[in-house]
Amino acid sequence: MTATWVQVLGAFLHLLAVAVYLGGSVAMEFVLGPAQRFVPPAQAQVIGQRTADRFLVLVWGALALLPASGALLFFSLSDQHTLSGTKFFTTRYGQTLLAMIVLWAVLVANGAIITFVLRPRLAQRASAQQGAAGVSRRLETMQSAATWVSRITRADLVIALFVVLLGASLAYGGGLL
Amino acid sequence: MRLLIAFVFTAALSVYLGGALVMELVWRPAQRAVPPAQVGVVCQRMGRRWRWVASGTLGLVAAAWIFWPRSPAPDWAAPLSVLCWGSLAALVLTMGVLLHPRSHARGRAAADGAAHAAARRRRLRAMRAMDVLLRMELAVAVAAAVLAALPGAPGAGGGR
Repeated sequence: MTATWVQVLGAFLHLLAVAVYLGGSVAMEFVLGPAQRFVPPAQAQVIGQRTADRFLVLVWGALALLPASGALLFFSLSDQHTLSGTKFFTTRYGQTLLAMIVLWAVLVANGAIITFVLRPRLAQRASAQQGAAGVSRRLETMQSAATWVSRITRADLVIALFVVLLGASLAYGGGLL
Repeated sequence: MRLLIAFVFTAALSVYLGGALVMELVWRPAQRAVPPAQVGVVCQRMGRRWRWVASGTLGLVAAAWIFWPRSPAPDWAAPLSVLCWGSLAALVLTMGVLLHPRSHARGRAAADGAAHAAARRRRLRAMRAMDVLLRMELAVAVAAAVLAALPGAPGAGGGR
């Protein structure tokens, strides 16, 4: 009975983490993002910055929760025997799980690029002391960073959807690969 | 087939729940830093888009449940899931069709002061009701996710 409830807790937390990552990204990219175009650029930048700062906290929480809840689910299902020895690399179940772990690492890497490289570029402000050329360069850098954030977010969405498919295949198909 | 249904169900429920979480935990606090007029514009545009996303994902969740070949355990899970889905559909419909348009309704330029004040009161009432319903929606969506995680349900890992 306890094992069942641990399994439910693991599955719920796993679903919650996926929801925050996948659903949150959809809402940010396809609902909030387009709506910002209807307000003046200065206000749109404030909205973008505030929402992105908060959303990144949720994203990192979700990325941390994914392996933790996944491990809880895995052990509560008593699936350890399916991965003993070299089965991690030779069985469909093991290979699918391995692919999920690799894709999770890609999401983490992309998250780090957005958080530590692209977001600081977006947050920098142009100063009048830099002159017209400096302001123009600054705006170009910001535009380029915004484009890359959007590209990476959309790539992450595709990856996350594929991870959901792999997860479903582990539960109902014994693995996809 | 079960794999495809589980995938559609999990993706659709995730998009719905994640969207509701972003509205409550990301968008609502961010509003404080923006002038009310701009918040109104963004809210209006977001509401129109979110209405379609929410309706689409709820439709997919319902379709997945209908074609799902197993019953979740315990016995009360299935009727409770239907109740959750019905509540979410009713909430989305109430907010999308009734409250959201009301909260952005504009008074006529030719109207007198009393009519403007009445229109403003109606807008504020609609906004307050939206606030309450959005939180209810989030609570019900979380409950639906718990039910989806029960053994036998199509949620993540629950169907072994």
